[in-house]
Amino acid sequence: MALVRSLRDQFDWALFFAVSALTILGVINLYSATSQHPTLSGLYISQIYKLAMGAAIAAFAVAIDYRHFERNAWSIYVGGIVLLIIVFMVGTTTRGSVRWIHFGSFTLQPSELVKISLIIALAKYLHNDPKSGGRTLKDLVPPGLILALPMTLIVLQPDLGTALICAAIFGSIMVLTNLKLRSLITLALSFIAAIPFAWEYLMRDYQKERVLALIARWSGDTSNILDTGWHAHQSVIAIGSGGVTGKGFMRGTQSQFGFVPDQHSDFPFAVWSEEFGFLGSVLLLGLYLFIVLWGLRIASQAKDRFGAVMAVGVTAMIFWQAVINLAMVMGLLPVVGMTLPLFSYGGSSMLSTMIGLGLLMNVSMRRFSF
Amino acid sequence: MNLLSHRRELGQFKKRYKWMALFAIACFSVLFLMLVKLQLVEREHWASMARANITKTVTLPPTRGILRDARGRVIASNRPSYEVYITPQLIRPQDIDLFSSLMEFTEAEREAFIARLEAVPAYRRTHQIQMFTDVSRDQVASLETHHDDLPGVDVVARPVRHYPYGSLGAHAIGYLNEVSAEDLERYKDQGFRPGQRIGRSGIEQSLESILRGQPGYRRSVVDARGRRQEDHESVSDIVPEDVRPVPGRDAVLTLDMELMRSIHRAFRGHPSGAAVVVDVHTGKIRALYSKPSYDLNMRSGRLPHDVYQEMLENPFRPLIDKTIYESYFPGSTFKPFSSLAALRDGEIEPSTRFTCKGAYHIGRQRMRCTSAHGEVDARTALIRSCNVYFYRIAEMIGLENIDRVAREFGLGARTGIGINSESAGFLATRKWYEEKFGRFRIGYTLNTAIGQGNTRVTLLQLALSYAAIANGGTLYAPQLIERIEAPDGTAIEEPAPQVARKLDFDPEHIKLIQEAMRGVVNREGGTAYDARIPGGVIVAGKTGTAEVITSREHRERISDEVDERLRRYLTRSHGWFGGFAPADDPEVAIIVLVEHGGAGGRTAAPIATQVLEEYLGSRDLALAQRRN
Repeated sequence: MALVRSLRDQFDWALFFAVSALTILGVINLYSATSQHPTLSGLYISQIYKLAMGAAIAAFAVAIDYRHFERNAWSIYVGGIVLLIIVFMVGTTTRGSVRWIHFGSFTLQPSELVKISLIIALAKYLHNDPKSGGRTLKDLVPPGLILALPMTLIVLQPDLGTALICAAIFGSIMVLTNLKLRSLITLALSFIAAIPFAWEYLMRDYQKERVLALIARWSGDTSNILDTGWHAHQSVIAIGSGGVTGKGFMRGTQSQFGFVPDQHSDFPFAVWSEEFGFLGSVLLLGLYLFIVLWGLRIASQAKDRFGAVMAVGVTAMIFWQAVINLAMVMGLLPVVGMTLPLFSYGGSSMLSTMIGLGLLMNVSMRRFSF
Repeated sequence: MNLLSHRRELGQFKKRYKWMALFAIACFSVLFLMLVKLQLVEREHWASMARANITKTVTLPPTRGILRDARGRVIASNRPSYEVYITPQLIRPQDIDLFSSLMEFTEAEREAFIARLEAVPAYRRTHQIQMFTDVSRDQVASLETHHDDLPGVDVVARPVRHYPYGSLGAHAIGYLNEVSAEDLERYKDQGFRPGQRIGRSGIEQSLESILRGQPGYRRSVVDARGRRQEDHESVSDIVPEDVRPVPGRDAVLTLDMELMRSIHRAFRGHPSGAAVVVDVHTGKIRALYSKPSYDLNMRSGRLPHDVYQEMLENPFRPLIDKTIYESYFPGSTFKPFSSLAALRDGEIEPSTRFTCKGAYHIGRQRMRCTSAHGEVDARTALIRSCNVYFYRIAEMIGLENIDRVAREFGLGARTGIGINSESAGFLATRKWYEEKFGRFRIGYTLNTAIGQGNTRVTLLQLALSYAAIANGGTLYAPQLIERIEAPDGTAIEEPAPQVARKLDFDPEHIKLIQEAMRGVVNREGGTAYDARIPGGVIVAGKTGTAEVITSREHRERISDEVDERLRRYLTRSHGWFGGFAPADDPEVAIIVLVEHGGAGGRTAAPIATQVLEEYLGSRDLALAQRRN
């Protein structure tokens, strides 16, 4: 009885409701985006199954005291690396990159799970490193190596979007650890200096095209809106034409008639925004912002460094993915293959997000325990 | 100890949460402002683009009115041309194979198709692009049966103009071609769209507004692949519309295409020339014939550039309408007007005689006649075309009198036929000679009287003036349109013949001219006596042989570009015949010009008599048969 009461008292209902609201709206939106589609019309059912499975795994992540994760952090990290190596051995190639492992009908994208194992590993490292003064670049080398190993494997797949998120998570965690301002500036400058190198050697032609399409978009050049700029252009039309209250559920012409690309995976926000308008869009933005701020609040109340770093890592993961996806859908960033967490269709991203949220909840609940 | 250090480190962490939260709020604020911009500020803009995305408006071209001749024969009609439109964006790799096999492409054609497909610029790839025209019915049938497999392929039947008579009467009938940027500007309130065709010359041009009709359109709701969405009500409020086009009106012309064909036959052996036939009682034009000509079906389609270049350089000038655009020295066909001028002036009587010794001396100049005609009066002067007689009367009445009569007969002014660009011809005045040559000489007057001088006429002007002689003095305005009909055949408009002028001449004088002209063909010694058809329709007329004075540039061009035989040909005189028939009760007037044909009596007159015999003789025969 006491256990039930303590569970009720300690359970983070705000986080739970915000996440539930997003996933339910996501399923509703998925129904609208795919029900008219000849082959994707059953997708929302599949998404419900995946949600249920994700919730079960999240419950598992909540139930175990997160200090167990701390103890086994390195094993988890190595497990993630092994999965990434397995991808290269048995993975399937889709659109030129090797990202997926098939188990029967279930498809796993290890790079998604590696985001979690990376967060745990970084949390473990910082937990064990008692340094409390300002950190310099030299102090970044060990955690940098923790990042570099999986990130290199992910870049090789290639999956630039996920690699970028890993780097963003790393950066966010390091900002937390009192990195010296000078080191931060040096880091930022070297990042800028690396852009030409990345452009030349890392980016594929189609990726460059998308960046150029964005630049053309912003400079008012509309000549590319029918090829390289098509996706962004149609997405922006969908959002803009939604107006204040939207066109109504299942009534978005851009969505229902197939003008918005990848409606279920990368562009679900355009569908939502067209059909539910400014009010619906602001609701969605508000939910994401709430989760992010709530996540930071959980981190700030964490009782140890492992919990704090893990909470910031999970929050950063959700924040960066959401912001990059939304900015891309609104035409503010180039089109990169990045899903909107909790809202997009997709098993592996759902799984990693759910585990992450489970860990966040775990930290939230155990702030009173010790 | 361990626990304590944790606490301290957490304290270090705490400084950063506030900044992280602010950063997150800043990022979401940018997104929020972007939503404000797109959904609140620019909503209208994006909404109209969303509407444009799903609205597909197809213009339905109207059927162009049909042209018929006076006997109901089709001169210009429409036939369907099947055109294949490709939307490159929607062509999948496997579609190319299917499409190629349906079109029965050879490997080379297939490669060419792929190359064309790849050459389409990116911004046009979602457009329908016309790639094949006039494909066969078999190809159309195969494409239609596989329509659902090839969403990027559309077959559109477009009516194209068809001219059964090919090149016959091409200048007068005219052709169509694509609207130009200027046309679009000029007719912008009439619903012209790029790619449409417009009457570019002849009757096709002058009757454009009557023949064209009004386009309709079909507006439908489509998805991103361009497929029609029938059950779109739940999604959009766009109302599909289907406005049928209004077909153009038909026109019945005054022309007689069998008469034209008969003229064409009679011109066999002569590379260039022209002929005009008009109804003497109405001014209705029965024939406008200009040789050489060009095939209207080709001209109305896509004229290959080399063919056009060849027409431009052809020494016989197929592009020139020789019936109304070009003007010529009338030669002796002008003499009836000189006679009428002298008779009305009272300076001579019909019986006044002059003696022709084969030449006429004026000052130190000796002006030759065609032969020594001896004693000639008004009648024989015309029959035998005696220049001396006309020199004498010209000297008596002066240039102004001759010019005045010519002007009354409509020479020197546009007839107002209303097609193509018409030449006014030219009547030289005393003032003009003074300005041009410094001073006036009596020789100019004498030359004018025999149709040399600087007088220039068009065949149409001459035909109408000869019709006025034939009908006793009524000059008609030319008429090309018999009737405008609705598509169901009911007459909408029937223009009445219009009299341009009632001429003021003594009927006896006109009768004298008519009789003299009858003598030209039917009296021994008449200049066209050899061209008469014994037992046939009796033709009256006047021959002419006009010297060709070419400009120096023209001569040089000829000498540079053509061989000796052609050069000699091109400097030969033009042969004329103007007349009417039947001589007793005239129905039609005819003008025949054989360019570089030499003596009119030998070249032009036989054409005229043969044509009139075929036109009036066969009709008389038909009338006789009907009576029996």
